[in-house]
Amino acid sequence: MDQSKFENLAKEFMEDLKKVSSLDDLESLRVKYLGKKGILAGLFGEFAQISPEIKKDFGRKLNQLKNNIESKLSELHSEFFAGTEIGVSQFEKTLPGKKPQIGHLHPIITQAIREIVEIFKPLGFTQVRHPEVDWDYFAFESLNMPKTHPARDEWETFFVKAPENKEYGKLVVSPHTSSGQVREMLKNQLPIRMLNISRCGRRQIDVNHIPFFFQFEGLAIDKNLSIANLRGVLDYFAQKFFGPGRKTRLRPFHFRFTEPSFEVDVSCGLCQGAGCRFCKEGWVEIGGAGMVHPNVLKAGKVDPKIYNGFAFGWGVERTYMMKAGLKIDDMRYLGENNLKFLSQF
Amino acid sequence: MNIFIPQSWLKDYIETDVSPVELAKKMSAHAFNVERTNEIKGDIVWEAEITTNRSDALSIMGIARELKSLLPKKDYKFKYKESKAQKTSGKDKLEVEIRDKNLVPRFSAIVLDEVQIKESPEWMRDRLEKVGTRPLNNVIDITNYLMFDLGQPMHAFDYDKIKSGKMILRDSRAGEKVITLDGMERELPQGMIVIEDGEGRLIDLCGIMGAKNSEIDENTKKVLLFVQVYDPMKIRRASMTLGHRTEAATRFEKGIDFEGVLPALWKAVEMSQELAGGKISSDLIDIVNIKPRSKEVEIDYEKINLLAGVEIEKSRADEILESLGFEIKGKKAKVPSWRLNDIDIPEDLAEEVIRIYGYHNLPSKLLAGEIPRLQPEKIFYWEGIAKNFLKHNGFFECYNYSASSCNAGENQLELLNPLTEKIACLRVSLIPQLTEVLDKNKGYAEKIKVFELAAVYLPRQNDIPDQPSRLGIAVKGVEYLELKGIIEAMLYNEMNIAQGAVDFEISKGENGYLTAELDFEKISQLANNDKIYIPISQFNSIKEDLTLVVPENVEYPQIKKAILAVDPRIKSLDFKDIYKNALTLSIEYLDRQKQISSDDTQKIRQNIFANLEKDLGVRLKK
Repeated sequence: MDQSKFENLAKEFMEDLKKVSSLDDLESLRVKYLGKKGILAGLFGEFAQISPEIKKDFGRKLNQLKNNIESKLSELHSEFFAGTEIGVSQFEKTLPGKKPQIGHLHPIITQAIREIVEIFKPLGFTQVRHPEVDWDYFAFESLNMPKTHPARDEWETFFVKAPENKEYGKLVVSPHTSSGQVREMLKNQLPIRMLNISRCGRRQIDVNHIPFFFQFEGLAIDKNLSIANLRGVLDYFAQKFFGPGRKTRLRPFHFRFTEPSFEVDVSCGLCQGAGCRFCKEGWVEIGGAGMVHPNVLKAGKVDPKIYNGFAFGWGVERTYMMKAGLKIDDMRYLGENNLKFLSQF
Repeated sequence: MNIFIPQSWLKDYIETDVSPVELAKKMSAHAFNVERTNEIKGDIVWEAEITTNRSDALSIMGIARELKSLLPKKDYKFKYKESKAQKTSGKDKLEVEIRDKNLVPRFSAIVLDEVQIKESPEWMRDRLEKVGTRPLNNVIDITNYLMFDLGQPMHAFDYDKIKSGKMILRDSRAGEKVITLDGMERELPQGMIVIEDGEGRLIDLCGIMGAKNSEIDENTKKVLLFVQVYDPMKIRRASMTLGHRTEAATRFEKGIDFEGVLPALWKAVEMSQELAGGKISSDLIDIVNIKPRSKEVEIDYEKINLLAGVEIEKSRADEILESLGFEIKGKKAKVPSWRLNDIDIPEDLAEEVIRIYGYHNLPSKLLAGEIPRLQPEKIFYWEGIAKNFLKHNGFFECYNYSASSCNAGENQLELLNPLTEKIACLRVSLIPQLTEVLDKNKGYAEKIKVFELAAVYLPRQNDIPDQPSRLGIAVKGVEYLELKGIIEAMLYNEMNIAQGAVDFEISKGENGYLTAELDFEKISQLANNDKIYIPISQFNSIKEDLTLVVPENVEYPQIKKAILAVDPRIKSLDFKDIYKNALTLSIEYLDRQKQISSDDTQKIRQNIFANLEKDLGVRLKK
């Protein structure tokens, strides 16, 4: 095949192109030249049979022609959608884009926890995780709750069928993140600023409780820590998590593993602590806190004469629901994995 | 536990101009949370939560005593007057035999004769109703009333029903039966405190409830008033075992003010005389078996200031402690009898001082000091990466309970006290619950992808279970290679793990479900952000696709190996598509020394075909 054949073909195409008056014409033209049985396909078919000497040149020209035709067709195609610089029709512009399918992260186990971790990070609190199934010793006894202590009743503890350990007692599903306190101290790395976020379990299931849930617990052990420091950390958290202007307050309470012990309230977001119909007293309870009891420090092999500390902790689920103002009427939704529920987050 | 505090009743003990609203605020801020304020019959009734360590405040008098420390002296007057001992004598005797002194540290009783059983006066019925108790008759009401008034549970027997005027206080024997006041017959285990009369009948299930056979009725003439201190642990165990938690039992098990016993008994006598016309007809019985030792605890003023984070003057600290009933003796504080169970160490005193000083009066300061050295564990970072990756590939994250039914795998640890059968055994795999999620959400979409990243619980000998983090994946309506591709992209691209370093298997389940469970501990160990830089070649590569016909019994890694072994100029080889037995691969050729030509690639290609055919019988598709 010689040079002129390609030139003629190019001319012929340009003539055809001039005759195009509709998108249908354009498509017929495309099929004529570029279709499976089109002119160019025929030429590519010849390619295999021609002599090697001219093969290279033939191939180059053929490709050139093909590119030329493609670009002309495409240009004309764009002209049919005039006034649209990016080659998109006015209608197409009004269509929604084709989205990739995106999934959802769980509101509690990921979204809430991430937020909490990020808030405590600048304060030097490092995220850890401690066993979710643990010895009675870490869940209770080392926390200043001897074997028969009535305070244990407050936790509806799940017990695990397993032989008792001579030193550490029964196997339990950890009912609170405080089980991590002594374990953290036993790492023997002082000072401590721990943020333990773990699954816990209690024998409770109703609108307000699910049997397996997440708690987060802060623990700071250092020299000369005070309740003022605890307040500082809690206020910082409240402002970052719930929003500027939100405050916390401590009320006296009793836990065996802290002395003094507190309940922590956060000021209501609606009335800022003045009292309104939603919160009644201006404050909403979020969790517990306290200064670590010397007996707990001792159990963690920390010398209470030199070190002291504070701890605070509460449920991730409830805290998140309070923040988001999400009126989730039944906590059990959180563990049901109904995709209609999860897709909202 | 929660108690009810009617303001009209509280006024028996306090005199103040401070409004109930203000008082409630102070209570909550310094002592006990007033959870609700109710109005009953024109009276304001608080419902307050009394913490477990403060049995001394489970009464109206106890609350009034606490309020004393919260208000300036000029605003407040505490009006409690102990009832005085009266002269006792009479013909009525009670023979008491205590088998084990530890059971009952203090035993006191007195008999009243000529008692008239009738309805209590209106004011008393009214008060009992406000604290949630049903009035019965004057004598029983007096015992209930004084429990709420002074915090001392007490009991009244019909003296004539105690055969031979004898009481034997002992441990119960297994299988013994008693019909309690509520009419229930209860079979007792061994080791509950009971009282037997002279004829061997059980007449009291101590600390829990009296027995029917000795109860006060409308014909009762002689009343035995009965005030005790029992071994708290025994009472607790008994009430837990019987599943019967009475107001009395909860007070007994938290500890009773030893010094409050006689004043309560005398007040009961006084009230009985007044409201039932009784007359003392016996000597006072007061047996002290174990007298609690008085306690002095060091006041560590320095520690108080350290804990508070602000200076509280010594005089202020002392004043607070005194207002709470402590006696200051130099650097020590003598603990009042009603706080003996609760105050042991200097920190306990610090709490008392600081809470009355006011937590809201403390500053709010962030932490100073050394930043801990502990580095965050890698796994949290990689969990975040994996979760985001999966989310952007259309997965829903799930949250399943740590326990499941007991048929969800081998070697599941059982819960001893499960709530339901559905959550009775700890999980050893994440997959069963995830497939359940697919089942439950069948109608949601054609294609569903879910995952959970959580621990499983694998039993170990004499240790807590191993609790490795796993990534469980389950999909519906997704092709095998698509799922495999997602997992591989996560591991080998997103997490930069060496190709093939993680073993995982995709299983096919019912309904075309595909599942996989990956060891996330291992993944997070292998995952990294290390980058290796290979200088970019100045020469261009040539890419082409090859479609091969693959005979049976040949595996992809063999093909890949056979091709890559042909020539170092094969820069990369990627799987592109498979249709029946036609495998399309894309190959990239690059020579780092010079520009590679189509002649070069043609030669390499020939060698590839030769190699494939010779070793594996794989040919180019025609």
